[in-house]
Amino acid sequence: MSFREKSAWISFVCLLLLTVACVAATVHHPHDAEGHLHLALAVFGAFGLLQVVLHLIVVAQAPKDARTPKDERELLIELRAARVGFYALVIAEVLAMAGVHVHGSWGTFMGTVLIAILIAWLVKLGTEITLYRRGG
Amino acid sequence: MATLPIDNQIRRLRFEHGEMTQQQLAERIGVTRQTVNAIELGKYSPSLEVAFRIAAVFNVPLEQVFQYRQNG
Repeated sequence: MSFREKSAWISFVCLLLLTVACVAATVHHPHDAEGHLHLALAVFGAFGLLQVVLHLIVVAQAPKDARTPKDERELLIELRAARVGFYALVIAEVLAMAGVHVHGSWGTFMGTVLIAILIAWLVKLGTEITLYRRGG
Repeated sequence: MATLPIDNQIRRLRFEHGEMTQQQLAERIGVTRQTVNAIELGKYSPSLEVAFRIAAVFNVPLEQVFQYRQNG
């Protein structure tokens, strides 16, 4: 498995864990807007920290692989995954806005917008992993 | 996944050139080993630039490395 694929897996698993935490918080405290802001900051902080630590471990295992710049296939995979992720983001954000009309609170909106971003990011990383597995 | 309508002779050419490894070829054309593997297995069509670089490494014309399947 290449360094880029390992990196995508690390990001995917970290993000999945954090998304589950966000969904759980939004379901348990749906109307707490300030709480969601704090949660968002904590989530992105924890995500960044986890990413750095796990990436350092992978880089230590294959330093040469990690130093190699992205080639054309890897850049193409990233672009294709970003395109899929963009559509996922648009759909998720529209659903988040629809959610405000149903529940009608800023707390719900903050939570669902955050989850929409996380889901779109997960879709992007999932697409990247699929494309790496398929070869391009 | 649909197979690309392009055949290649990279594997044969590598063996004819002193059993060159995918890693060695990758380093010479400036891509990763995984990309060479994907090209060799017909899972990825390289850019024209990389295709020419591969042909240059083996010192053969491009059409001896890649062949387009007309009815593919």
